[in-house]
Amino acid sequence: MPWLSRQFSTRVIALIPVAIAINIVLGYTVQTVLKLPIYLDSIGTILVGVLAGPIAGAVTGAASNLIWQYAPGIGGGTIGPFAVVAAVIGILAGLWGYLGVYRSRPATGSRLWLSVVVGVAIVVLLASRIYNNPAYTDPNIGGYPDWVFTAAILITVVASLAVAAFILVRQDTAGAWVAAAGALTGIVAAILSAPIAAYVFGGVTGSGTDLIVAALRQGGADVFNASLGQGLFSDPIDKTITSFVVFIILASLSDRVVARFPLGERIVNPAPAPDA
Amino acid sequence: MTLQLAAATYRYAGAAGPSLHEIDLELAPGDLLGVVGPNDAGKSTLCLVAAGLAPATIQGQLSGTVTIDGLDTRSARPHELAQRAGILFQNAVTQLSGTSATVWEEIAFGPRNLGLARAEVIERVEEAAARLAIADLCARDPERLSGGQAQLVALASILAMRPAYLLLDEPTSQLDPQGTRLVGEALAGIAARGETGILITEHKTDLLDRLCTSVLVIEEGRIARQGAAAEILADPGLPAAGVEPPARVRLMAAARAAGVELDPEPP
Amino acid sequence: MPDYVQRPPTEPYRSLNPTTKLAIALTEALVAFVVRGWTGPLVVLAVVLATGLRAGVWRAFLPFLLATLPLIASILLVNTFLYPGATDLIARIGPLAPTWTGLVFATQAALRVIAFAMSVALLGLTTRPDHLIADLERRGMGRRAGFVLGATLRTVPRIGERAREITDAQRARGLDTEGSPWRRARGLVPLAAPLVFGALSEVEEVTMALEARAFSAPARRTPLRSFPDAGWQRALRWTLLALSLLAIAGSVSGALAFLP
Repeated sequence: MPWLSRQFSTRVIALIPVAIAINIVLGYTVQTVLKLPIYLDSIGTILVGVLAGPIAGAVTGAASNLIWQYAPGIGGGTIGPFAVVAAVIGILAGLWGYLGVYRSRPATGSRLWLSVVVGVAIVVLLASRIYNNPAYTDPNIGGYPDWVFTAAILITVVASLAVAAFILVRQDTAGAWVAAAGALTGIVAAILSAPIAAYVFGGVTGSGTDLIVAALRQGGADVFNASLGQGLFSDPIDKTITSFVVFIILASLSDRVVARFPLGERIVNPAPAPDA
Repeated sequence: MTLQLAAATYRYAGAAGPSLHEIDLELAPGDLLGVVGPNDAGKSTLCLVAAGLAPATIQGQLSGTVTIDGLDTRSARPHELAQRAGILFQNAVTQLSGTSATVWEEIAFGPRNLGLARAEVIERVEEAAARLAIADLCARDPERLSGGQAQLVALASILAMRPAYLLLDEPTSQLDPQGTRLVGEALAGIAARGETGILITEHKTDLLDRLCTSVLVIEEGRIARQGAAAEILADPGLPAAGVEPPARVRLMAAARAAGVELDPEPP
Repeated sequence: MPDYVQRPPTEPYRSLNPTTKLAIALTEALVAFVVRGWTGPLVVLAVVLATGLRAGVWRAFLPFLLATLPLIASILLVNTFLYPGATDLIARIGPLAPTWTGLVFATQAALRVIAFAMSVALLGLTTRPDHLIADLERRGMGRRAGFVLGATLRTVPRIGERAREITDAQRARGLDTEGSPWRRARGLVPLAAPLVFGALSEVEEVTMALEARAFSAPARRTPLRSFPDAGWQRALRWTLLALSLLAIAGSVSGALAFLP
């Protein structure tokens, strides 16, 4: 199939190992060295998906997880069985690439403010969907524990401010779409990860996020819902940050390099007409 | 059969204007052509266009014609070009495939890609290693070589493709003096056999002084001067064109300025 | 062809065809996770330990085992003390209420993790990655997949090394890897940016270098070496495949529920 082989041109084949290495090294550094409560191990996956297409993205994601699991030296841990989730993240990234989500859309004035409103609205909408999930209720008190309320509001406000600031400072309306793509990817990732974590690992993954799982269990959530609750907490934030990072990377690469990739034309703004 | 550029004009994809204008050039097996010029004059672009990588691999717009032994580079596939014109870049590390445990396997990478019979692959690897006198490196890990050795392995890997033409883009610029010497001797050996047409761009004009028969000066994508190596490199106008003359020329000029006439041909 | 290129191993278990060893590892992983309860993990653990003994890698298992400890601890603690809906208390220690159900669940999960980790370790300790990749390529995996796997295995340590250098340099300039999360996060950008852009800048050069060596030629890549593969190994691989499929089917349909 020409569509499939175009996604795996030599240039893409040269990119994938680098993308996998970025996934593994950054993920390891963030989680183990800096010990931050985010994963940041999908930058390479989304980058390949956006530049080359969904299948290439899926391969990058799955291979990153499997190689990390089986790699001598830094291997081990719980990452392997989540390869399916990583593949889906890559497929979604290919979708966002086709839709041109990561194309710069410079704008000023009222169009800019409109996109700020849209961006914040999307953040609030998604946040309310996330934090209304039954995984966060505590049957003992018949509702949400206080800490869920506080955390949800805090995260929503910070995220809205960040998205608004991004759009205004860069004068680029793409910020709204980038945020939406990241949040949606995060939600899907959380929904897919929960059964794997619950079924394979008894609901925990050995990282700091287990504290969230414990807190949710304390509130009465069962194994699956506690994992889902933790996922919906961490994944949308992590994937939205990743989404913005990928956007910044793409914007910083020179147009002529990006244009050589299969989906490059959807990222680069059309060049001015060449001189005759 | 030659490598020929006729009125070749090339513009990179997404660039405003062309990087090469109306280049006319012919390279025959046995030729050793040096190319000098200031930074961003188009030396690297010339190598990419002559090898056919531009536009076959990096896209862009080519007008005029570039033919390698009759093959038009605009319609050729990259693997067809690879067997006719070999190109060597400055950075040895990125040219090594990074998938081979030994130098031997690294040199075999290209011939294996062509699907040649195993016996022929082995023959080509041994021949390339012998040509560059690196048989003692063949058991080593390619990631653990010095800059000069890595560049020699990259060169051997290209030679294993048996191209009729070699295009070298500043091959010694990232090497220390010893590495430069290694590569320079290897190139002299290849040139001495007279089977391969070599084009080499360099800032180190000493190297060109030793090796080349003719030299080309490129400025702003056009050929500014062309002629016998000794003549061009001794041209006093060279520094103005952003090119440092070889040590021999500078020494003669300094001596002349001090009133001493040096014998250019030592006994 | 020189000896150093040929080199298939001859020690027990290691001398098996690489694809056979891969099939064994994948089947072990699958059975450990899919066959619930005690049976799956214990059987796999027994098989892995037995083959590990035969291959002479028992001592090398230890670091892999130790690496799973944080996860095991987390599994045991969270599930024993916080298993929702369980009422069979082991004891009541103040506010803590560990349950037998939780403990059983936790131990089974822990065994699954250990069995999986040991199976991974066995594969890693007895199989050279480039042998495995070469064998898979010979079986039709293709040069592009072979390149991606091989290049990744070399690129990851190279970029990891660069990350270490950058982190050390940043630490010397005051990067905080121990302080508050905010301070640690601020150190992320000066680390990630040069790493990512440095890595990406090489992609164009690598592309050109690959094309210059006919990487996109249509022919089938010449295999350099072959690994011994007896008939019984082929039979074993097919059996393992059948076993895996049966395990999945049995587990999903509940037919294996009779196992402890």
